[in-house]
Amino acid sequence: MKRRSERSSRAIRVVSGALIVLASALAAGCGVGGDEGGSGARAINWYVFNEPGGAFDKAVADCNKEAGGKYKINYVKLPTDANQQRELIVRRLAAEDDSIDLVGMDVIWTAELAEAGWILPWEGERRQVAEEGKLEGPLKTVEYNGKIWAIPFTSNTQLLWYRKDRVDPPPDDFTWDEMIDQASESGKAIEVQAAQYEGLTVWINSLIAGAGGQIVDQNGEVKVDASAERAAEIEKKLATSAAAPPGMSTNREDQARLGFESDRSDYQLNYTFIYPSAEAIKGFQDKIGWARYPRTDKGEESRPPLGGINIGVSAYAKAPDLAFDAAECLASDEHQAIAAELGGLPPTTEAVYEDEKVQKAFPFSDLLRESIDAAAPRPVTPAYSDISLAIQKSFHPPEGIDPNGLEDTLRDRIDKAGQGEIF
Amino acid sequence: MEQHTNKERLLWTIGILVVLLYALIPVMWIASLSFKTPAEVGDGKFFSGFSTDNYEVIFNDDTFLAALINSIGIASIATLISIVLAAMAAYALSRLDFAGKAVILSGALAVAMFPPISIVGSLFDMWRAIGLYDTWPGLIIPYMTFTLPLAIYTLSAFFREIPWELEQAAQVDGATPFQAFRKVIVPLAAPGVFTAAILVFIFAWNDFIFANTLTSTDAARTVPAALAFFTGASQFEQPIGAISAAAVVVTVPIIIMVLIFQRRIVAGLTAGAVKG
Amino acid sequence: MSTAEATGTRTAAPPKGKVSDRKKAERKLAWMLCAPAVIVMLLVTGYPIAYAFYLSLQKFDLRFPDDKEFVGLANYGDVLSSSTWWSDVITTLIITVASVALELVLGMAIALVMHRAIFGRGPVRAAILIPYGIVTVVAAFAWKFAFDPTSGFVFGLPLISDTWQPLNTKGGSLLVIILAEVWKTTPFMALLLLAGLALVPDELHEAAKVDGASTIQRFFRITLPLMRPAILVALLFRTLDAFRIFDTPFIIQPGGALGTETVSILGYNILINRVNLGLGSAVSILIFICVILIATLFVKGLGTSTAQQRGEV
Repeated sequence: MKRRSERSSRAIRVVSGALIVLASALAAGCGVGGDEGGSGARAINWYVFNEPGGAFDKAVADCNKEAGGKYKINYVKLPTDANQQRELIVRRLAAEDDSIDLVGMDVIWTAELAEAGWILPWEGERRQVAEEGKLEGPLKTVEYNGKIWAIPFTSNTQLLWYRKDRVDPPPDDFTWDEMIDQASESGKAIEVQAAQYEGLTVWINSLIAGAGGQIVDQNGEVKVDASAERAAEIEKKLATSAAAPPGMSTNREDQARLGFESDRSDYQLNYTFIYPSAEAIKGFQDKIGWARYPRTDKGEESRPPLGGINIGVSAYAKAPDLAFDAAECLASDEHQAIAAELGGLPPTTEAVYEDEKVQKAFPFSDLLRESIDAAAPRPVTPAYSDISLAIQKSFHPPEGIDPNGLEDTLRDRIDKAGQGEIF
Repeated sequence: MEQHTNKERLLWTIGILVVLLYALIPVMWIASLSFKTPAEVGDGKFFSGFSTDNYEVIFNDDTFLAALINSIGIASIATLISIVLAAMAAYALSRLDFAGKAVILSGALAVAMFPPISIVGSLFDMWRAIGLYDTWPGLIIPYMTFTLPLAIYTLSAFFREIPWELEQAAQVDGATPFQAFRKVIVPLAAPGVFTAAILVFIFAWNDFIFANTLTSTDAARTVPAALAFFTGASQFEQPIGAISAAAVVVTVPIIIMVLIFQRRIVAGLTAGAVKG
Repeated sequence: MSTAEATGTRTAAPPKGKVSDRKKAERKLAWMLCAPAVIVMLLVTGYPIAYAFYLSLQKFDLRFPDDKEFVGLANYGDVLSSSTWWSDVITTLIITVASVALELVLGMAIALVMHRAIFGRGPVRAAILIPYGIVTVVAAFAWKFAFDPTSGFVFGLPLISDTWQPLNTKGGSLLVIILAEVWKTTPFMALLLLAGLALVPDELHEAAKVDGASTIQRFFRITLPLMRPAILVALLFRTLDAFRIFDTPFIIQPGGALGTETVSILGYNILINRVNLGLGSAVSILIFICVILIATLFVKGLGTSTAQQRGEV
C-alpha cells in the first residue's frame, strides 16, 4: 500500500513537472517569433535574397526615410540558393502567412505565384508605373495571362567573356559551333554552367530560343521541337571536345568564374558579377573582353539568358496599398542605379543605363542593355519548376545525353511534369 | 598477466593511430577550411592559413546567431521533455508488470524506424493549420517523438539494473519515502538519465530535414538549416569559408561534450544494445 | 506480506483477491506513466502517416488548390509504374548495402581495437565518438569540400590521380556519399558490436587457445557465432537508417543530380519542391512500406536465430 501511494505521488510529481515544462515551452515558442512591427509605423516585410553589396540595405533605408512614418520596410533575408528561396516563399504563401508583404521574386516565379493566387496584380495606375520605361525582356517576365504581377527591379544576363590577350574579339555572328572549334584547337576551355540545377535550364533555354524554338508557349502548350535536339548537340559537342571545362557536369556560376580566373579557359559564359570579382587578381581585369552571347545558328540572332528580381505584393499582405507604395519606391530608377553601383545588378529601366553610376559600374553597359532587351525569358507557366526539373533531367550529364530522340523524351517528360505526374 | 612484446605494442599503436586519423581527418579538414581566406580556399592544403575573418563574419550575422539560439533552446527543451516522458515510461516498463509492454516496446521501435520524409509533408500541413509552423514547439514536438524510442530503450536498460530493494531498505532504516528516493534511487538512476539526455540532445542538435521544412524565418530555424543562408561576396559565390566556420562553431560544443562524457555515452549505447 | 513487498513486483501466490487488486492498480499506474510518451508518439507519427495516406489518395498540388480531387490509387499507380521510382529504389539499395557492409567490417575492426587494446582505449573511444556527435550536414559538407574539384585536398594525396573527379560522375558521387555516411555512422555500429563482444566469455577463448586454435580460427568459430544476435540487431538498425538516408546526399549532390537520387530525396523533390502533396505523399507511404518490409525480413531472421540459440544453449 505504501508502495503504491509512493509510486503514485512520485508519478504525479513527475507528470506535473512535465506539464509545466511543456506549457512553458509552448509559451516560449509562441512568444519567440520574429517580431516584425515597428514603433507605430506599419511594418512591410520584404523577403528577398541576401545582397552582399549593400544595395538592398540602402534602398530600404532610403525608402523608410521617404515614407516619413507611413510604413517601415524590413529586409528579411532568404537563403542563398535560388531553389531554396523558392521553396521557402512557396511554403509560406501556401500557408497564407500574413507576415510576408513584398516578395523579391526571381523572374521565373511569376506565373506560378500568380496562378495560385498568392500575389496581387498591378492594375490601373500601378500598372503604368510598373511598365513605364522598362526593357522588353524584364517586362515579359512580369506578364501572365494579360496582367502585370510585379514591378521589375533588377535584371541580369550573361555575356560572352573572353581573354583579350589570347583570342581575337568574336565577330557579331559568332556561333557556339565556331567557338567550340576554336577553343578545341587552342586547348583552352569554355566555362559554362552545366550542373543539374536551374543554371542548366538557363543555358538550354537560350540555346533553344537561339534556334528559334520554344519549350512551352504562352498558353502553356508544350511546343518542344527539333531545336531541342540542336541544343543537345551543342551541349554534347562541348562536353566531348577538348574545350570541355573540368568538372563541367557539376559546375555552377562560381566554378565557372574560378575556372576562368585560373587561366584554364579563354571563354566564359556568365553573369556580370565576374567582372568586379576579377579585380581581386592583379592585372586580370584588363585582360577581360566582352561580347554578346553566341548564336545557336548562323542566321538567327542570339537570345541571351534573362535573370533578375521583380518585386511582387503578397495576396495576404495586411496593408496592400502601403505595400504597393513601398514596392514602387524600392524599384525606382534611383535605386536601380544604386543596385548597379553597389551590387553589380543591371537595371530594368532603359533610361537608367545612361546614369553615370551605371556607366561606371559597367564599362559594357550598352552591350548589357542590348542583351537584356533581346533576352529570352524562360517558359512562362505555373508549372515552371516542374518543367525546369524535367529539362535538367533530360540534358544531364552533358557527356551522356543522346541528341537523337531527345525531342520525344523531353516532350514526354514536360507533358508529365505539367500534369503533375512523376517523371 | 601477459607480457606484451614490443611488436605487439607497435601494432596496437599503429592500429590506434589509424582509428584516430579516421575519426579526425574530416573534422580537421573543415576546421582548416574555416581559417582560410577566400584566396587560400582553392589551394587544397590543410591549415594553410589562420585568419579569423570567417568567424568574424558569422558572429556578426544575425541569422547565424539567431540560429544558434534556436538550436540550443530547441534541443535543450526537446531533450528535457523527452527524458521526462521516457523516464516515466521506462520506469513502468522496467519495474511494473502489465499487459501491453510488448506492444509499447514494438510501437516505440516502429517509431524509431520511421522515415521522416513520410511525415514532413503532413506535419507541414498540420502545423500550418494549427499555427505551429515556424515556431519552437513546431520543432520540439517532432524531435521529442523521434528521440522517445531511443530514450525509452536506454532508460529501461539502466533502470533494470537498479537495485530497487535498496530503497525499501533505506525506509526500513528510518528514511521517509522522499528521502529514500532522493538519496538512494536518484544517484543510481542519474547516470542512465544523463546518458539518455546526451544521446537525445545529439539527435535533436543534428536534425536537418525537419528544421529545413518546418521553419522559414529566424524565429525557429536551427543551425543545420541556417547553413544554407550564407553568402559569399556575391549571390553566386560559394561561401565555403563561412559554412566551414559555422560548422566548427556548431561542432565544438558537441566534441567537448563527447570528450567529457565519453564513458557515459558508450555505456548508454552498449547497454541499450545488449538489453534491447 | 513484507517479504513479497521487499522482493519487488514479481511475487508468488498471495490470495487471489489481493493479487488482482494490486495488479489492477499496477496496471493503471503503468499506463498512466506510459501514457504521455505513447500519446506523443501516436499523435506525431500515427496521425501524420494516416493523413499522408489520405493525401496520397488525392490529386493535390498546392499551386492549383482548386484542382483538388479524389483519385484513389492513381498516384500509386503512377509512381510504381515509373522508371524513376525503381531506379531510385535501386540507388538507395546500393547505398544501403554498400554502407552497411563497410560499416560492419570497419565497426568490427574498431570494436576489436576497443575491446582488446592494451592501452589507449580512452582516446580511441573519445575519437570515434566525434563522428557520431557531429552534425550530419556538417560532416557531409566536410566530405563534399574534401572532394571539391577546385578546393579539395584529396587530389593532392599520393595515390590519387589529378584527373579523377568523383563528384562529376555517378559512381564517384555514390562513392563519396557512401564514404561520408560510413564515416559518420561506423561509431554507432562499433559500439553495438562492442557490447556484443563483451558477451563472449573469455574462458571459451582460453580453452580454445589451449586446444591450439589460432586467433583467426577463434574469431570465426567462437566470437562471430556468439555475437550473432548483437550483429543482427546492429544490422537491423543500421539498414533501416541507411535506407532512409537524406541529409548526406542532399548536401553532396543537391537535387539528386547525376543519378544519385535516393527515395527520400525523390519524396522531398515532389513534396517540397514541386509542392505536389498528393504524389509526394504516395511516395512517402511507399517508402514507409519499404522500411516495414526490411524490418520484417530482419526480425524474422533475428527471431529464428535467437530461437536457434536458445535451442542450442
